[in-house]
Amino acid sequence: MIRSFPALWISVSLFVAVADQVSAAESDQSAQLAATCTSCHRLDGRDKGIPSIAGSDAEKLVGEMQAFKSNDSPSHIMHAVSLSLSADEIAAVARYLAAQRKEAVPP
Amino acid sequence: MSRWTRREFVSAAGAAGVTLAAPMARGQAKPRVVVVGGGVGGSTACKYLAAGAKTLDVTLIEPKPRYTTCFFSNLYLAGLRSFESLTHGYETLAQRYGVNVISDSAAMIDPSAKIVRLESGAALPYDRLVVSPGIAFKFGAIDGYDEAAAQTMPHAWNAGPQTKLLRAQLEAMEDGGVFVIAAPPNPFRCPPGPYERASLVAYYFKQYKPRSKILILDAKDTFFEQDLFQDGWNRLYPGMIEWLPAEFTGGVKAVDLKGRSVQTASETFNASVANIIPPQVAGRLAQQAGLADQSGWCPVDPITFESKLQPGVYVVGDAASAGDMPKSAFCANSQAKVCAFAIAAALTGSQPIAPHLFNTCFTYLAADDAVSDAIRFTLADGTIKIGDIFMSKVGESPESRRQAVREAGGWYDAFTHDVFG
Repeated sequence: MIRSFPALWISVSLFVAVADQVSAAESDQSAQLAATCTSCHRLDGRDKGIPSIAGSDAEKLVGEMQAFKSNDSPSHIMHAVSLSLSADEIAAVARYLAAQRKEAVPP
Repeated sequence: MSRWTRREFVSAAGAAGVTLAAPMARGQAKPRVVVVGGGVGGSTACKYLAAGAKTLDVTLIEPKPRYTTCFFSNLYLAGLRSFESLTHGYETLAQRYGVNVISDSAAMIDPSAKIVRLESGAALPYDRLVVSPGIAFKFGAIDGYDEAAAQTMPHAWNAGPQTKLLRAQLEAMEDGGVFVIAAPPNPFRCPPGPYERASLVAYYFKQYKPRSKILILDAKDTFFEQDLFQDGWNRLYPGMIEWLPAEFTGGVKAVDLKGRSVQTASETFNASVANIIPPQVAGRLAQQAGLADQSGWCPVDPITFESKLQPGVYVVGDAASAGDMPKSAFCANSQAKVCAFAIAAALTGSQPIAPHLFNTCFTYLAADDAVSDAIRFTLADGTIKIGDIFMSKVGESPESRRQAVREAGGWYDAFTHDVFG
């Protein structure tokens, strides 16, 4: 029993390492997608005419993006961005933005 | 072999340590990315290289301590914004993001040795180089118009002392004077810029010098958002702005500084104040480093923005010839992020996402009347094409134009925060 323990420990730590890599890669890709947003939106909670979207509810963000996709009148740039991002990309960036604290340093 | 004394062992290990440690240190050193030019493209690239991949050593080479944005500088000409509000430093890039900011100019690039030589004589080695040199003017394309002539008839197409000079001349101009703008041929920095300038100077004239006129002598027969501008000029400044296309005049051919006149192929126009915006090419360093082709601009890979002429060197911003992308600050920012992620992927093994490239412009017709356009770009046939373009329309409600003004102000704040930190 005692002899098998190190092997088990190694396999668990490998799993954790791989999981970390996966989530780090996913987070990195979401951060790259969110870089699209920061050309117009501040992520530090400050809002001088364009809403700061950090810390927003993910489902609400997805809903707003879908609305922008179907209508160009509220915002030309949001219509263009919503058409460029796939549903998966919108979901990923919404999760990423929702996880950002408003006072966090922007990427 | 006899047993080693403790002193001999330490000494031998130390010596071995030195010889072994040197290559190891090199192997473990952070990959070096050097960025030349602290405008929108270069500063954005620095920030996203330094913030995204903390394992990179990022250096910015820029001779000026602060950068004044060309975008929104027409608001300064109209008295609607202070010069200081358009000016940004590199402190946040240095302090928060750890970018090594070097106050110097790049004198020469050696892409085969992967070295940038600075004006001071220092040589900076790099693993990847980003060049964002902006535009240079084709002085000599208009007879009599060179760098010295710009002190009399400013171009004000790089924001800074030229912008202040033009503002001072407009302020000193008598009511009833004629302000002449020579608009450049395509492609040039900021396609709506000369026409926004006419609009906002008209806004200033309407208040302070209402008998004055504005004459645009264009090198082109059409211009960007022409219907929106001409509708705005008719509504807001009737009879004040006249636009003459190249088909009528042949375009500006010469200037007479002493006579204060501007000559087209067919006619001479007296100018109380003349704003000559010359034809443009990629910035000086791009020409010297062999990054520009015969067009005067730098061909780049549409996915990474790596130069098609010099491997390992990337070009972003106005200097790049990036398919259908116009030369705008927004495009420079959009390109710089895609480029930064591509470089991080090449040097650190991170996974870049498929590029998303956009442009958006907020353009002022008056203090309370702005329009916007947005473009989504796609990759097709090995280049960057316009996917969709959405823009304001003639006949929109005054409230929607005021809304665009509010968004424009918010955009400037957020955008410059994105670029300079």
